[in-house]
This record gives sequence, C-alpha cells and structure tokens, in this order.
Amino acid sequence: MSFVLPGELVPAQHVNLKLGPGLLQVSDVKNGSVMSTRAGELKHTANNREWWIEGNSRRYVPAPQESVIGVVIARSGEGWRVDIGSAHFASLDGLAFEGATKRSRPNLKVGSVLYARVSLAHKDMEPELECFDAQTRKAEGFGELKGGFLVRCSLQMSRMLLDQSHFLLPLLGARFPLEVAIGLNGRVWVSTKEPKYTIAVSRCIEAVDPDGGGMDERAAKKFLATLDI
Amino acid sequence: MSTRHKRLDGRANDEMRPISIVYEALDRVDGSAKFGFGQTVSLASLSGPLEVRTALESPSHATLEISVRPLASLPGTNSRALATTLKAVLGPSLLLTHHPRTLVQIVGQALCGSDSGGGLGGTGRGWNASLVASLVNACSAALINAGSVPMKGVVCAVAVGRLSDGPGVHAMVLDPSEAELPALVGGGCFVFMFSSVLPHAEETADVTHAALLWTNYTATSGVFEDSEFAEAQELALEGAGRIWRTFKDSISKHGVQEVEKTKAEKPSRQSSPEIDDDKMEI
Repeated sequence: MSFVLPGELVPAQHVNLKLGPGLLQVSDVKNGSVMSTRAGELKHTANNREWWIEGNSRRYVPAPQESVIGVVIARSGEGWRVDIGSAHFASLDGLAFEGATKRSRPNLKVGSVLYARVSLAHKDMEPELECFDAQTRKAEGFGELKGGFLVRCSLQMSRMLLDQSHFLLPLLGARFPLEVAIGLNGRVWVSTKEPKYTIAVSRCIEAVDPDGGGMDERAAKKFLATLDI
Repeated sequence: MSTRHKRLDGRANDEMRPISIVYEALDRVDGSAKFGFGQTVSLASLSGPLEVRTALESPSHATLEISVRPLASLPGTNSRALATTLKAVLGPSLLLTHHPRTLVQIVGQALCGSDSGGGLGGTGRGWNASLVASLVNACSAALINAGSVPMKGVVCAVAVGRLSDGPGVHAMVLDPSEAELPALVGGGCFVFMFSSVLPHAEETADVTHAALLWTNYTATSGVFEDSEFAEAQELALEGAGRIWRTFKDSISKHGVQEVEKTKAEKPSRQSSPEIDDDKMEI
C-alpha cells in the first residue's frame, strides 16, 4: 500500500524486470534507475518481476492489444475513421474483419458503434484498429455492436468491470438479462430488453466508479434496491 | 536579523495557514483540483492529451496551453503574464515528448482576490504572492489528479514575506496572509520542483530532491542583500517540502483538509466536502 508521487524513485530491481504503466527507466541517476511518472499506488507481482502504478484517469491513451469501443465518424478511402477517445482518431481498414474480401465488406455507417482491438499504437502515428482476434483471426466478439447504449466511466472502472471477480455485473445479471461490452477506453456498451434496466446499469456503473461515488458491494445492493426494477 | 515576530494571526514565523486540497472531479475535464492556503484558494483544471489544431501542433512534443482567470472581470495583462510564468514552470515537470501532436490544456482560476484582478498584489489586491503560489499548487494537483500526462516531478510553490517591526528589526515569515501584506517590506513567491532526476539538486529532510524554478522576490526599497534572499529561499524550501508531503498524503486520502489548530482535531480523512453552491457565485 505505498503511494507515490510522480518523480519519485521506485525500488524495482530484478534480472528480467518488466515496467508497466506509470514507470519509466531513467539513466544517470545515483541510486536505482526506475522513476514513477504518475501518482498512484505502487504495485508489483509476487516475484518482484513486474511493477506498475495503479492510478485512475479519464483520458484514454492507446496501447496495443487493448479492446476498445469506438464510434465511426467518417469514411476514409477503403476504411473508416473511428473515435476511441484518444487524442487522435483511429483508422480501421475495410479488410480488418473476419471473412472480409474486396467484394464483401461490412456495411458500417457514420455513428456505428464498434468493438475493436488496437493493433498499432505508437506516439508518432495514428492508432489503428482491427476487428478480429490477433491469434485466431476470427471475430471473437469484435465487430459492430447493434442497438444498445453507450455508458462513459473512468479507466480504472473499466478495468474493474473486466475483472472476473468484481461484484457489479453478476449482481445486475442476476436481476435481468444483460449484454455488455467493456472497452478499456472508459466506454461500456449495454444492451437490455427495457429502458429501465439500461438506466439501472448506467446509474450503477456511475455509482460504483471510483472517480465519482466509489460504492462498495453493500452500498451498491442498497442503491439497486431503490431503483425501480 | 530574524527575531520571533508576533504575527497578526498568532502563527509562528515558519508556520503556514492550514492547507486544503480538494479533487473537484469537474465534469468535462480530465483532472481538476482546488488548492488553498487558508482562505487564499485557487482552482485549476486540466485536459489532455487531446486533439490539437494544426496551427499549434508540434511534431515532437505536446503543446502546453495555459490560461489564467482572475476572480472578477476579464483576464488582463497580469493574467497573461502569469500564464507565461506557469508555462515556464510546469513545462519542465512534464514529459511532453511522450505525446507529440497533442494538446495539454490547463485553466487556472483565482477563487479569491478583492476588487479586479489588476495589479500584482502590493496592497492585497489581485495576484499577491500567496495567490500565485496557490495557483501553481492547484495546477500541480490537477496534473496529479488527471494522471494522463506523464510527469517527471511535482511543482510546489509557497510565498515568503519580510516583516518589519521598526528599523533594524526584521523577520522572514512563511505564507503571509492578506492582512499581513501591507506590513511587508519584501516578499515573493518561490516555486520549486521535486524530482529525483534533477541534475543539480539539494536533498531536503525526507523528500525527493528539489530545485528552485522561479521566484518573484522583491523588496519595497528596491534593494536587498544576498543573505536576505538566501534566507527567504531556505524558508520557502522548507515550506515547499511540507506542501510536497501534503500532496503525497492527498493521493491516498482523495484530498486533504487541514483544520486550524484552535478548533477540535478532526480526522483529515475526508473526501469531497459538501457542495456549497450558494456561497460560490462564479
């Protein structure tokens, strides 16, 4: 439980050291060479091999192999420009879908919601997306998301929702049938049969979000009981 | 020659007013914070890295855009000058090369300051040293809160003043309040950066290395000695170190609200305070 400010040296030492988000290797420093670049809780794996800073943020910075939810904003040549919440718009090629050929391309319109994987994310280039799994080259859930509703949350909340052991989605799923797609860029797509269920999901996500509310399981259950479902 | 001077509010020479840091969670920005030395409070918000228009775009680093607003009336020359200072002071603490062709936008707002925002606060009007210090600290806190722009250090600022009780009797005091300003014969704001990657830095107590980035120390007589300046800098460094430690406490507690020693000791574990929309009319 050690909290660090940016600019502090971190005692990360290992033969095969792996630095995660928030840590940077700096040269020509007297003692140790790993510095934190953001504020948060310093965490590491049991064998001290992987170190990272656990913090919250609202602005998404693309990283490769992350699943994100994007909204198509324009056609560009053979593909589309997609808004994933980062500083630059991402580009999605027309052939980056399972079973797409030059003759049969998916029919995406401006405003369509997609679940995609970031295939290229470099600071000097525009991010690129793909709608199939990297290893199997099959859709595996990526592609267009039809209908539904988009909920915004903080980045730490989307990581929590993706965690299998988090309480919120099973709690909601036990009450009503629910389809959800979680993007690591702070966006969650929700699809339910009735608007009141969608509103309940949206309000619960806002309430449990550490950025505003930060309710635990008991408080969330009580809150859910006050909603009319 | 510094003697233990009797201050208007009974503080010691090296005692600051209670510090409050509140992470505001403003709606349409990525990070925001309010920093106060007692009643001298500033608010800052940060957004970034975001899309930048081509005119401001830079291919090798993020563009830092800062705007400063006084409490009343439109931003004038002083606000513009302060924004330039803030850019010079916050720029070195950020790793802007990690996000080329983007924009990092900071907006600073004074939440106190009588009359118009005019003047650099000689008689307590407008931007006095404590208000400038609270603005710099609010920007640092907003950067810490956002967590999206990588930083290589934390910038902390504090104001120092030189009180005079008569000819030959002076004392250097930390964090002069608005009421003490008319009695000062010298003073200014000192801005330090705390980082472990500074080339020439001194170590203070148990905090990371610090280096002086900027100061606007002046003497009303127009002349001051090296020893006076060194004394002011040393006192300011000590105060800034305490502010750095308060920043560190605030990340685990989601904000800090120190209470004055005269009141009963409340636990400082306090998230955002009650919303007082009636009091704030901005």
